[in-house]
Amino acid sequence: MGGHKGEAADREHVTGAGRAGAGENAVDWRQLRALLTAGIKLDVRTSRAGVGRGKVPPFVIALMTYAVMGLLLAVGLRPQGDLFVYSLFTISAAMFMTALAVIMEYVTIVAHPDDFQILAHRPVSSRTYFWAKLGNLLFYVTPIALALTLPAAIFGGFFLEAGARFSVFHVLGGLVACVSTSAAIVLLYTAALKLVSYQRFTSIITYVHSGATLVLVMAYFLLPRMIEEDPQLLSLTRGPWVYVAPPAWYAGTVEFLSGIASPQGTALFLMAAISSVAVVAAAMNTISLEYSRRISELMSSSVEEDVSADGKPRRRPFFRLGLISLGTGAERAGYVLMDAYMRRDRKLRARVYPAFGLPLAVYATALIRGDLHSPFVASPDGGPVALQEIMGLYCIFVSLFFASALTQSEEWKASWIFHVAPLGDASAVLQGARRLVVWRYLVPFFILLFVLLCFAMPVLGAATFVLMILPLCLAAFAILTLAAPHMPMSQEIERGRQARQIAFFMLLGVTLVPCLIVLQLLMQEFPRAVGPILAGLWLSAWGAERGVRALLRRRLAREEYAG
Amino acid sequence: MNAPATPDAASTGPEAAAPATREPAVVFRGLTKEFDGLVAVAGVDLVVPRGQICGYLGPNGAGKTTTVKMATGMLRPTSGTALIEGFDIGERPLEAKARIGVVPETGALYENLTPREYLSLVGHLYHLDQHEAETKASTFLELFGIADSAGRTMRSFSRGMKQKVLISAALLHNPDVLFLDEPLSGLDANTALVLKELLRELASQGKTVFYCSHVLEVVEKVCDRIVILMNGEIIADGNVDELKNMTEAVSLEGVFSELTSTGDLPDIVRAFSESVTGSKGE
Repeated sequence: MGGHKGEAADREHVTGAGRAGAGENAVDWRQLRALLTAGIKLDVRTSRAGVGRGKVPPFVIALMTYAVMGLLLAVGLRPQGDLFVYSLFTISAAMFMTALAVIMEYVTIVAHPDDFQILAHRPVSSRTYFWAKLGNLLFYVTPIALALTLPAAIFGGFFLEAGARFSVFHVLGGLVACVSTSAAIVLLYTAALKLVSYQRFTSIITYVHSGATLVLVMAYFLLPRMIEEDPQLLSLTRGPWVYVAPPAWYAGTVEFLSGIASPQGTALFLMAAISSVAVVAAAMNTISLEYSRRISELMSSSVEEDVSADGKPRRRPFFRLGLISLGTGAERAGYVLMDAYMRRDRKLRARVYPAFGLPLAVYATALIRGDLHSPFVASPDGGPVALQEIMGLYCIFVSLFFASALTQSEEWKASWIFHVAPLGDASAVLQGARRLVVWRYLVPFFILLFVLLCFAMPVLGAATFVLMILPLCLAAFAILTLAAPHMPMSQEIERGRQARQIAFFMLLGVTLVPCLIVLQLLMQEFPRAVGPILAGLWLSAWGAERGVRALLRRRLAREEYAG
Repeated sequence: MNAPATPDAASTGPEAAAPATREPAVVFRGLTKEFDGLVAVAGVDLVVPRGQICGYLGPNGAGKTTTVKMATGMLRPTSGTALIEGFDIGERPLEAKARIGVVPETGALYENLTPREYLSLVGHLYHLDQHEAETKASTFLELFGIADSAGRTMRSFSRGMKQKVLISAALLHNPDVLFLDEPLSGLDANTALVLKELLRELASQGKTVFYCSHVLEVVEKVCDRIVILMNGEIIADGNVDELKNMTEAVSLEGVFSELTSTGDLPDIVRAFSESVTGSKGE
């Protein structure tokens, strides 16, 4: 009877018994469709976490910012008039931004912490799982890649008179480049996991994040400047170096497919095609439920702590220094809570530590190129913008990462305690957590920066530069807290937020860098004004802190539990 | 009623001012909460005198947890008021909150902290003397049998161990009113027994317990009074015998089923069974 046959098949499907023959290599399309649909729903809902009705989701804002960035870059490159250089810069920018976005959101996109718990005991083959993950990755990367490359493609096709064919292949080339970049990030993590022992990897995962950011930033700043400075490189954008620079492969591909044929273009096209297929295939073969479990397990596990003989964690001097500056119990509560999480929560660390990679990468690049100079003297190349100003900007940017990380946590539901506790000033808890960031991270970081700068400029210059940037960083930290005025660790982690922040920051740079230049020009022209300028900056930071504190007090007094 | 304490001072703590007032411990007046037009709690009126253990029951989605969230200041009521020891949780939140201890249904706590650190955090939040808080925390952890794990982060803790920490945190500041939402969740039989006896003991000393649970046997044994909520409204209120008389059921389970079930239980069971196995029953 047909009914019996159908029932038996259903039973086999449910129990997984029928899959023995199909094996781990079979793709169950029904499961794949279900996993993809669920993944996309989760992506969309997570990216909307905390967003009210009728408001634009953060990921959409990020995409809009990317599109503006892509357009600004395209406009800036127009005078070059060279299609290869144009594509090289726009695609390398897209690859750079995609890589940063994937690194920041790695655990939620590639190896979701819940995957193993939810799927491991179900009859899902590894092949089905990684096809689903590929779908998720494409779903995440495609809008970013499109937002970054589409405006440049349209602009290039129109204003460079490159035609519609160029626009189409520019978008496609950029998309493939971005997907390949994401796959390369997956391989980077896999390689790191293979190169070092599992135990060792658990302790370096956070630094892998920061290291990847550092390498990316250095490459991003060094490559264009090498081309810009070396006339040979500029004229021969088709020299041998193009074979070792992946963005050049994709730029060559765009040119080749647009109808500008050359032996080198053909070679670059083949390199792009082969490497893309290879890197995506290799990356996808590494993704399995077991991989997901290992990554999420090590990200979820607590960091091994440096403990004293009596079993208490060793506290650094800056921790104590910050502690004595606190007034109320609520401030101390926020301070110790944030301290514990910054010491132990790998995911939190992974979200904020890359922030330090950015300025340090620019510092290293500027040191190599001899771009660092005392604020009292003009930049070595005579231009208004040196890498030093960009480094200063990235130092300010560190506060953005912390301001965002303060209020979001996977354990946000535990914040009920702040709502039932008798807190006269609920913002004091947040204030305590913010103090921890200042004393445990920002102050030591700027001291390190001062020491590093002393290698490249006089002590007075280094001190002046640090004293100029630190108040701006503190003011930014205060103001940015207002962007998400909540209790510490009281909000669900919002997907795409860090990607949005990176994009926002890149745009912010357009306005902040000129301010830094003006400040330094003033110092160069009027050395006696240094004191008043620094005093003004510190006063502004103090004023911003006071104002924000008052606003937070009012805002948090009305805050409801998010659960 | 005592003069209200100042917000930040330790005098908001129950130790500082055991209320001399004769106000009931908990009063809800027209307590209502709406979420996007959906009424979760619809004008609940309730008075819980001191020293009473009040069971608050209802089917899933009845509004129990929302009531507790409003009573403890986690959510603001759409309308109505909740008074704790005479203090309106909306108007005088600090005084009210200083007098309550809460064990939430979610069991949420900061798992990356050790129990000792978590209780220290709670001690800070309630302005307890640090030494006193540490001593009390150690005692609680010892009594709950988890002192050996006091220095480990709670990420690796079982549900029951986390629950013990949550209960310790709720009792740490010696509150006058306890709001317990499924407090026995995950606890072993011995600890559950200890907690039930402890609640009785605390009630005899004048503490008030607002007890939400689905475990009707426990509610029947522990609670002096039972309030049943359905669709955000109170549909029954009385002690176990009064409720039994009201419905002519022989147990609290029967009372609950009769008042809140939306269908005939045997029919529902049969339909489920048929749906699971895909075959018609006898």
